[in-house]
Amino acid sequence: MTLLIGAATIGLVLALLALGVYLSFRIFNFPDITADGSITLGAAVASILLVHHWSPVVATLAGFMSGVVAGTLTGVLHTKFKINGLLSGILVMTALYSVNLHVMGKSNIPLLNESTLANQAESLATRLLGGGKSEFLLAGWTVGVRDAALLIGVLLVVIAVGLTLYLFFRTNLGTAMRAAGDNPQMVCALGVSVDFIIILGLALSNGLIALSGALLAQYQGFADVQMGIGIVVWGLASVIIGEALVGTKKIGVLITGAVMGSVLFRLLVAIALRWGLNPNDLKLITAAFVFAALVTPAALRKLRLASKPAAT
Amino acid sequence: MLDLQDILKTFNPGTANEVRALRGVTLTLERGSFLIIIGTNGSGKSTLLNAVAGTFRVDSGSITLAGQDITGQPEHRRARLIGRVFQNPFSGTAPNMSIAENLALAARRGQPRGLGWALDHKLRAQIRDRIRSLNMGLEDRIDNAIGTLSGGQRQALTLLMASWLKPDLLLLDEHTAALDPKSADQVIRLTHEIIQRDQLTTLMVTHSMQQAVHLGDRIIMMHRGQVLHDLRGAERARVRQEDLLNRFDAVRRREQLDSGVADLLQSHYV
Ligand SMILES: Nc1ncnc2c1ncn2[C@@H]1O[C@H](COP(=O)(O)OP(=O)(O)OP(=O)(O)O)[C@@H](O)[C@H]1O
Ligand SMILES: [Mg+2]
Repeated sequence: MTLLIGAATIGLVLALLALGVYLSFRIFNFPDITADGSITLGAAVASILLVHHWSPVVATLAGFMSGVVAGTLTGVLHTKFKINGLLSGILVMTALYSVNLHVMGKSNIPLLNESTLANQAESLATRLLGGGKSEFLLAGWTVGVRDAALLIGVLLVVIAVGLTLYLFFRTNLGTAMRAAGDNPQMVCALGVSVDFIIILGLALSNGLIALSGALLAQYQGFADVQMGIGIVVWGLASVIIGEALVGTKKIGVLITGAVMGSVLFRLLVAIALRWGLNPNDLKLITAAFVFAALVTPAALRKLRLASKPAAT
Repeated sequence: MLDLQDILKTFNPGTANEVRALRGVTLTLERGSFLIIIGTNGSGKSTLLNAVAGTFRVDSGSITLAGQDITGQPEHRRARLIGRVFQNPFSGTAPNMSIAENLALAARRGQPRGLGWALDHKLRAQIRDRIRSLNMGLEDRIDNAIGTLSGGQRQALTLLMASWLKPDLLLLDEHTAALDPKSADQVIRLTHEIIQRDQLTTLMVTHSMQQAVHLGDRIIMMHRGQVLHDLRGAERARVRQEDLLNRFDAVRRREQLDSGVADLLQSHYV
């Protein structure tokens, strides 16, 4: 049970990453690799502030803002300097590796003794339950107070972020952003600077990803300069699973789908590891999965066309 | 209203693919006039419209619209003055967004976009009303994705979008060329209605001589990046499809003559 709760919690934390990836990859069709650097950046900034006894809320928001800056940079490289999108992301991601080391001052910051959102949630839950119990019974299962508090806390954050994102996409600005991904020529003809919208979108996307990193560091109790490597593929996997789960193009449903996809993906990973999957193979398998998910729809379509008699 | 002074545009200058697409176009349009542009393939009609819309910067010359010099403005800034319908029905609408959302985007053409709701009840009602006036039965489907509609329906909606906020200038680039004859007729009728109703200053490119003689109050014929003929007033009123076709023939004959002369020269001197 503890294992499943833990997996679900990480899934929810990484759902913010999935939302960020959804924004860049699905709304703009922009393969933004900055994610690998910005998730670590968010973790690094939040952690170093926590070590210096800043309020956890402020530290987390600062983590979010650092991602906004990183995304803006990628967007400016792409739109103003006309650098290929993939390359812009790679440049910023590479630069961020050094930046992150500078921010952290070393390659790993432990947070176990700091006042983090995780610790605050735990102490709040303990106080609410009354008494100093560290476990309670739920439908016959023993559940750790800390585990439950974190799961609920993260769930609330994800709901708030998802809802905000959904509402944003229904504003004038958000509608223009979705349209810019759908048909940039039209949006430009209607008076929207596509460059500005791309920069804004990437800023928002990387802000969410960095927020995910800030929460992840507080959940697992440390920030590590390596923690972002390959993470964009995980986000992608979540988005793809989510789309398969919901199967529509309605924006609200897709947001929910990305969250569910992230949780499901984490649960699957946890179970696979439990069954003896070599952790070293995890990234290989994830990459293979994303590959399969990306090519299958097109392959299916081709098969269907081939099996149909020639149109008259 | 619209004033073009000596517009020059060369694509890929200094390379083997150099194309002098506009070679000194000067054109003045009064408010409310409806200009039809005809001309052979590659004569620069689309390039002229793109120059006005701001798809690229012109090499030299100036563009003034509604009293403002817009020569240096990027396309999205000019959009507050200009409504546009493209040849390709896929270009003018965002396929994965609903009819209502597409029109909501057009309802703020050229205006700042903030965090207000894109669609409220009032706007939805307006959208439904205007779409009902198209008589296409789309008013009950305004929440469907626009990508599910036919080319003719999309083009009609694009026209509605371009004219939602009365633009100072309406640009139509062969906007019925990709449609079947029936839809094309429908869209042309709608075009006529909207331009008449709102007295819109319009530039319309067409390959149809029938459209050219039945619509608009002035015709220019372009050739090799220049305005070859400019028919207005009484001359425009008299003109018939045959006359226009004759002018095309004359251009073609001269072209052949030109290439004939070139061959002659080549055989003699090379
Ligand atoms: N973006 C571009 N880059 C390079 N050459 C271009 C570009 N746009 C247009 N041209 C060239 O400029 C010339 C004029 O093209 P334009 O599209 O304006 O012709 P048109 O009169 O609209 O022709 P059509 O009737 O075929 O639409 C053509 O030779 C074309 O190949
Ligand atoms: Mg053309």
